[in-house]
Amino acid sequence: MTPYVLGIYESRYFWTHLAFSDLRSKWRRSFLGVAWSVVQPLGITALLAVVFGKIFHQNIVELAPYILSGMIAWDFFMATLIGGSLSFVQADAYIKQYRHPLAIYTLRTTLTNLMVWMMASLSLIGWVLIVRPQSFGYCWLAAPLVFPLAAVMAWPLATCLAYVGARFRDLPHALGLVLQAMYFVSPIYFEARLFRDGGLGALVDYNPIYHLLEIVRAPLLRGEWPTTANFAMCVIAGAVFSAFAVLIGRSAERKVIFYL
Amino acid sequence: MTGNGILLDKVNLHYSSVAFKERSLKALITGAFTAPNAKTVVHDIHALKNICVEIAPGERVGLLGHNGAGKSTFLKMVAGLYPISSGSRHVEGTVRSLFDLSLGFEPDATGRENILYRGLLLGLSPKFMRSVREQIVAFADIGEFIDYPIKTYSAGMQVRLAFAISTMVGGDILLLDEIIGAGDANFIRRAKARITKLIDDSEILILASHDLGALRDICERVLVLDHGEVKFDGPVNSAICEYKKLTGGSA
Repeated sequence: MTPYVLGIYESRYFWTHLAFSDLRSKWRRSFLGVAWSVVQPLGITALLAVVFGKIFHQNIVELAPYILSGMIAWDFFMATLIGGSLSFVQADAYIKQYRHPLAIYTLRTTLTNLMVWMMASLSLIGWVLIVRPQSFGYCWLAAPLVFPLAAVMAWPLATCLAYVGARFRDLPHALGLVLQAMYFVSPIYFEARLFRDGGLGALVDYNPIYHLLEIVRAPLLRGEWPTTANFAMCVIAGAVFSAFAVLIGRSAERKVIFYL
Repeated sequence: MTGNGILLDKVNLHYSSVAFKERSLKALITGAFTAPNAKTVVHDIHALKNICVEIAPGERVGLLGHNGAGKSTFLKMVAGLYPISSGSRHVEGTVRSLFDLSLGFEPDATGRENILYRGLLLGLSPKFMRSVREQIVAFADIGEFIDYPIKTYSAGMQVRLAFAISTMVGGDILLLDEIIGAGDANFIRRAKARITKLIDDSEILILASHDLGALRDICERVLVLDHGEVKFDGPVNSAICEYKKLTGGSA
């Protein structure tokens, strides 16, 4: 186990390079370039906020940052898990030539999407500062913790999926379906209290996505510190996914090259 | 001497047929309608059979064999890329392999940027790459094109740059697989000199090649592979005779 972790550390220049190179190729030759990652979620949020505001008669100004925070976090998970399930397939040329730990290729996917999310967060911060300046305070210090916590959850999960995805190429399609379902049972754009009122409180309380989102939403939207339970749920989810990744990786790591 | 060395004991390597059999709905349905005897059966491939080889520091070993004899598989097994199905494999020392030269280039980035990227792929630090960049530029010798995007390069120029970068650093154990000669005659001459230097710097060299002249020049010991088995292990000249016998004297 230790040499494996050491291998990840030793190849750090390589995977950071891959992640940045993904970003570069993503925005190459586009006029707005990196600004798209700010504009895109803003546009969809504006649209949803207007529609939802009309249908449910909710306050658009309050609702929009709620939706936006959920949307950009969910985009991160979608992209990391679906992209992650194909990470090894995408990196086959590297895997066939160099003996780096395979987890660096899912780390690359995680890191790329994490940076996109960070950029998208700028639009959220801007929006909140304009419409809810009163929530600004020390508790905002907790909000950036969402990124490492999300990575701790998404990276091992993406690694599990990548081991399976190398062998069963149906996985990304099936995963799209599963994530779509997850999307509807998570408080991404419906408020958590709608779930609780509907007697579906368990979907919120035992949902790591909800707790992860609370780490951003509590400080930014309500000016409160996230609760210990929020942090604990994220860490527990990360630990469980990591255990799975180690368990699957132990037998699958060496065989992946045959399936590429 | 140092503890570098390679010790292979009864190594077997299989390519599992599960990995390349087609498992799709389409295959399942069409399979149901074809006559059972018309189907070709795909078996596991036994790529390396009972390999027992010991390579000591300072040895220059050649691999000789027909296409599909297992030369590349042998190299990739030594590099630790392919898991072995039985036996034991001990490799001490840093392994540097030259299998595919044109990997890891970013077509939209300039030659200079790609020098850095490829170095990182080889596991080197950005600091080190900056220190050797000018040497690489000088060796590749592609003039002003070094500041142009790679996609504007001709095939020969790409190979020159890739070669210049990949051979900048050696390792304790050097694995070479059929280094192809792209580029013009002048470059090939310089490339050969570079390889020779790299070989001199490394403790152990394993070279897979069909170029009998190169094998005679570089290696003292040659392994003749045939259908995944080591048929002969010994001095280069007897090995070449053995290889010619195996291939019916046509080589």
